[in-house]
Amino acid sequence: MDMDTVPFYIKDCTLLIKMSGFSPAFDIRDLRERIAQCSPSVIYHHYFENLLAPTFDYPDFRNDFAVWVKRQLDDDVLAERLGMIEPYRFDSLEDLRTHTLDIIDERLSELHFITAVPPGHEFYFQEAITVVFETGHVMNNPGEMFKIMPQLTSSSIYYHFLEARRRTPDLTDDFSLWLENFGSEWEPLIRDLRSIDFIFYSLPELKEELLYIMQQYEVKE
Amino acid sequence: MVHSIDQYVDVVGAPVVEQLRRLGERLKDIRVVHVNSTREGGGVAEILYWMVPLMNDLGLKASWEVIHGDEGFFGVTKSIHNGLQGYPVQLKKKDWDHYEEINLKNREHLLPVLEEADIVVIHDPQPAALLQMIPNRRGIWIWRAHIDVSRPHHQVWKSLKQYVQDYDASIFSLTSFAQILPHEQFIIAPSIDPLSEKNMPLNKRYVNEIAKAYNLDRSRPLIVQISRFDRFKDPLGVIEAYRITRKVIPIQLVLAGGGATDDPEGKEILDEVYKAAGDDPDIHVLLLPPDAHRQINALQRLADIVIQKSIREGFGLTVTEGLWKGKPVIGGDVGGIRLQVISHYTGYLVNSPEGAAHRIRYLLHHRAKMREMGKTAKEFARENFLLTRQIREYLTLYLYLLKDRGRSVFV
Repeated sequence: MDMDTVPFYIKDCTLLIKMSGFSPAFDIRDLRERIAQCSPSVIYHHYFENLLAPTFDYPDFRNDFAVWVKRQLDDDVLAERLGMIEPYRFDSLEDLRTHTLDIIDERLSELHFITAVPPGHEFYFQEAITVVFETGHVMNNPGEMFKIMPQLTSSSIYYHFLEARRRTPDLTDDFSLWLENFGSEWEPLIRDLRSIDFIFYSLPELKEELLYIMQQYEVKE
Repeated sequence: MVHSIDQYVDVVGAPVVEQLRRLGERLKDIRVVHVNSTREGGGVAEILYWMVPLMNDLGLKASWEVIHGDEGFFGVTKSIHNGLQGYPVQLKKKDWDHYEEINLKNREHLLPVLEEADIVVIHDPQPAALLQMIPNRRGIWIWRAHIDVSRPHHQVWKSLKQYVQDYDASIFSLTSFAQILPHEQFIIAPSIDPLSEKNMPLNKRYVNEIAKAYNLDRSRPLIVQISRFDRFKDPLGVIEAYRITRKVIPIQLVLAGGGATDDPEGKEILDEVYKAAGDDPDIHVLLLPPDAHRQINALQRLADIVIQKSIREGFGLTVTEGLWKGKPVIGGDVGGIRLQVISHYTGYLVNSPEGAAHRIRYLLHHRAKMREMGKTAKEFARENFLLTRQIREYLTLYLYLLKDRGRSVFV
């Protein structure tokens, strides 16, 4: 294959939230019990896909469990511990589930009594359907990437930069993986892309960060 | 009326519109029929008013049908509505018989279109009985509940469940609204149309004219609640909050709303509101016609603070409208308002007239905070609560239901 043109077919995805069928949690014990029993797709949704869910919120923690524990249960200790879980670092959802349960168990062993939230403030376990589709955009070389990137939706960024980590061999993003096809001159950009501390970004912020990094290389080109 | 999705490019950006076009291509010529009980008044009619033409523009064959009923029918369905929101109501067998009878009458003119549709979306309880009356239906039937069904009156839900449990799927506005049903339940929050008369930008001259027309003093703070005159919107609680605040700040209050053809209780509540307002010249109770969208738009823009002090609420589109206009919102700590009003970010959630008065005073003394909240709110609304997001979720649902129903669907 000609190294100057390696096609990258840009995909997009849309998310549809559905109820998991589990009863809501009113306290930490409920939370632990449901997390232990729920399907992996529920864990996946509350740790990963929640970035795509419509919200007016801008929480300081990036997974739904930590946000609920902080906002509704007012347990800052557990919220901080759950909030620092970096889900992309786990090899499997089962490992992530086990780690989450360990943290909750540790907290349960420290508490003298368990508080519960009133109705209306409970945690609802959700999962989601993802529809993935081709956008029709193809980029053949890094120069085209710089042009196309501003036109991508937040959900396309999610699919190629975040969701990619669940399906690529090195748990990396699609963009940097694709750039590897174009020789060592792109290694600095690859390094910069892979060092983004994305866990605290909303999708529009992540897109801004990607554009900012790429703009620097575009000028150099 | 907006007929082309391309008109939204300036508001949401070209990538979002292109995404909808791509999804629409995959649903080309799919026949989708929406059924509800009123053409005008209330959030459902407003959503269908813009959604149906835009779905057609995206390549689907969408249509909107309305069932017709008499006063007795809408009395029963209002009671069902109240019961689903937890208000204790008594519905007798003859009431449910009449409910079925009216649905059966509507079946006659709806039969061909409902039988042939690929997807039928039935909105709220009023037309829910139609499913059992169309035995030769070939499409997928979805029940779309717009109201808060989180803690329904048991007997009302038990009876209504007989009509909705056989649907292929249901949609609720919030996770907390979903009830246990023997089919998949999806969550789709409603949205607003930024180009509709109610939400489009207005010129200052028109806004000033509205202020003049309603005798609003531009030099003093204005609090506005826009909603139907309905006990769950707590207009009397808003007046109480106004009176508490008024002791220290010379605010003005606008309570404005229309009636809907399917809401016979409105008159009774309106009379109570007039009585509570008395002859206070700074309380403006405005009963607006169903097409007063531009006036409502102007009133929201005139407001310093938008209030929605509901004690039960479905989603609360008037909250979204206020946030889209860059206003902080003081909202009741219920239903969909919780999703939109994040205390200290986009406004404040309150649980009493005293709480509302406290937050009105706080905000009026912190104008910079109000501006910051308004700016934040507008950007969240742009990203998540405009109609383009809701269309995307409906299209995603249709694709999922018409395809193989896997967790990830590749189309």
